[in-house]
Amino acid sequence: MWVYFVILLGVSVITAPAQESDAALANPFTSDADVAAGEKTFISQCASCHGRDGRGGGGGPDLSTGRFKHASSDEAIFKIINKGIPGTTMPGFMLNAGPVWKVVAYIRSLSLSQRNQSAPGDAAAGQALFAKHGCAGCHDSTAPDLKLAAGNRSATELRQSIVDPGAEVGTAYWRVSATLKAGGTVSGTRLNEDTFTMQVREQNGALRSLDKSSLARVEIDRSSPMPSFRDKLTDTEIGDVLAYLARSAR
Amino acid sequence: MRIVCLSLAAGMLCSGQVPYSRLRSAAADPQNWLMYNGNYAGTHYSGLTQINGANAKKLTLEWAFQARSLEKFETTPLVVDGVMYLTEAPNNVVAIDPVSGRQFWSYEHKLPELTYPCCGRVNRGVAIADGVLYHVTHDAKLLALDAKTGRVKWETVVADYKQAYALTHAPLVVKDKVIVGPAGGELGIRGFLAAYDVKTGKEVWRFKIIPEPGEPGHDTWGGDSWKHGGGSIWVTGTYDPELNLTYWGTGNPGPDWNPSMRPGDNLYTDSVLALDADTGKLKWHFQFTPHDEWDWDAVQVPVLADLPINGRLRKTMLWGNRNGFFYVLDRATGQFLLGKPFVKQTWASGLDDKGRPMKIPGRGPSRQGTQTWPGVQGGTNWYAPSFSARTGLFYVTAWEDYHSTYFAWDQEFEQGKWFVAGGVKAPVPPTNREAIVTRSTEHGYSVVRALDPTTGKVAWDFKLQDMSEAGILTTASDLLFTGNREGWFFALDARTGGLLWKKYLGGQVIASPITYQANGKQYVAIAAGTSLFAFALGE
Repeated sequence: MWVYFVILLGVSVITAPAQESDAALANPFTSDADVAAGEKTFISQCASCHGRDGRGGGGGPDLSTGRFKHASSDEAIFKIINKGIPGTTMPGFMLNAGPVWKVVAYIRSLSLSQRNQSAPGDAAAGQALFAKHGCAGCHDSTAPDLKLAAGNRSATELRQSIVDPGAEVGTAYWRVSATLKAGGTVSGTRLNEDTFTMQVREQNGALRSLDKSSLARVEIDRSSPMPSFRDKLTDTEIGDVLAYLARSAR
Repeated sequence: MRIVCLSLAAGMLCSGQVPYSRLRSAAADPQNWLMYNGNYAGTHYSGLTQINGANAKKLTLEWAFQARSLEKFETTPLVVDGVMYLTEAPNNVVAIDPVSGRQFWSYEHKLPELTYPCCGRVNRGVAIADGVLYHVTHDAKLLALDAKTGRVKWETVVADYKQAYALTHAPLVVKDKVIVGPAGGELGIRGFLAAYDVKTGKEVWRFKIIPEPGEPGHDTWGGDSWKHGGGSIWVTGTYDPELNLTYWGTGNPGPDWNPSMRPGDNLYTDSVLALDADTGKLKWHFQFTPHDEWDWDAVQVPVLADLPINGRLRKTMLWGNRNGFFYVLDRATGQFLLGKPFVKQTWASGLDDKGRPMKIPGRGPSRQGTQTWPGVQGGTNWYAPSFSARTGLFYVTAWEDYHSTYFAWDQEFEQGKWFVAGGVKAPVPPTNREAIVTRSTEHGYSVVRALDPTTGKVAWDFKLQDMSEAGILTTASDLLFTGNREGWFFALDARTGGLLWKKYLGGQVIASPITYQANGKQYVAIAAGTSLFAFALGE
């Protein structure tokens, strides 16, 4: 009987937060003054890991993208600040509700300010250009998901990626060409690499896992396979494409 | 009870009875793993030889223990006469069968809703003496548990958890005392080491790591900065029975990254303390990083070894420090014998005759950020190094060519809040549960590094793709076991660094391996992800 009692208690504890999150609490502290207060707390309590600008780098992830791995609602962010994230270095912070909500408001302000940079172009024209140049051919497949990028990246960064795609290629998109000791070559996107193995997606989509001890030679290509659109699109047209991307951002 | 006693190897006492004499001679009892560091010398070395270079490739999984908690799993288990004792987050103690992995009992400590561990609710293990386990908690208590039942015999409040004191390390039992200290260096605590009577839990002595007004060393703190000076304890110390000294590495001064807020050397932060084990009186200290500007806790295991230095056999202490230097000290006197960088570092031009770093100006944190090697996680950190008297080598998990950009800003102390006054950026991801690694080694990588401790020179390296937070075990068959963040657990030849065996465990190894023998079979155990894995030779 005692055992059953414990199990029932466990169920009630699990279901209670789920019900709450169905009707997520709205942040009651969102004024400019609240955001400013939140920034102050953020700098003293959060910035050592998440960076002074909230863009990460000190061990904690970038919080400026508007997209959070462990939370979607303000209430969920609030709970993470309160309780931490098990299995990670994110601790719970014993802050009163007001200061935590203000930190949530500040974190939200980081991504809103980026979205506001979006070029005021003609989204319909941008969609037509997107189709005309066949962007989806790669970006709907293995190239970076632009619906995500449009939400994560500033207009400035996106514009740079269009005119100078090779300027900054994320390590997750580096390409590898591996020559096998037994003969033959495996080349494609380097998806994952550790001390002993490497996982590659070949051009044809085949997923290959390689034992590094079987490789005679490994070459990493950090260039982008994307062509530059510097001479193919005018500034206005790039603005149109960015407007289209902003509209389709997830 | 009699049956258990009879089934054990000759000369053993009854199950779980671990008097001080057994702890003192732990090195001669390699079937068991009797304390966090394996033995009082902290060598993380075992005399077992069944698994050797010729048969290591036959290692196979015997069992896995899956923790109920999804939090970070940094436990180092004990194995005592047929029972393994381990901890799982946040503060559970579990007794299991080291042959099958099946559970005997578990103890779950009820914590207040909010405690203050800085970086995850970790616990690194328990201590045992005379059938009693000693366990510390995030609400700053020391518990004595009956090793047969897991029931609490006594509990003692070590500090006030509401003031951000939290305990995470395995205690150290010396004679009739159990020694512990608090974490909280990022939250403005004042660290200490305290010894409690093993029978009653009554405090016997306490050494304050941040000296108070009127105490020696207080003048190394400008103004009131000592009040939140840090100096935490979060890794288990060691003990020399002949000298009756217990050695502990201390944590960073607070706030971490704005040193102008705490003028002076900030004793006894980032130091090793040699305390009389009976009285807690300071015999000597050595500060690795005076006036630390980078958060380089000296929270490493003080490894004790007797080595020929300049032609004379000396009682030494070996130390790969988070600040990037490797040190050899005389452990009777604290005299500096040798010191050399063991990873790339850009903050000091070297060490002077006394071992004090000669700092290069302008390498500390700044408003605009200062790029300095090593980065904030240091040249190494809390995970166990190892020393083998057979090979004469000191083994350390090193973070090579790794930097951070260090920032300072102003901050006022507030009770229960982070007190770091700055931040860092580093091109290295944190400990997390990611299985994908695409980062480039150009921003740092780890090596399993073997150093000749008489010269500080590298004997061999085993290079890893990613960073590693795994400790090292060596054995009398000249094997070295370690793992890494990538999720691999592997065996190297301790003499050459050659790879002998590897197994992918699918979860980050942020713990140190142990070995033990049961029913005539040698096992090697390691925590990875949220599970503990035990390997032995297959048929």
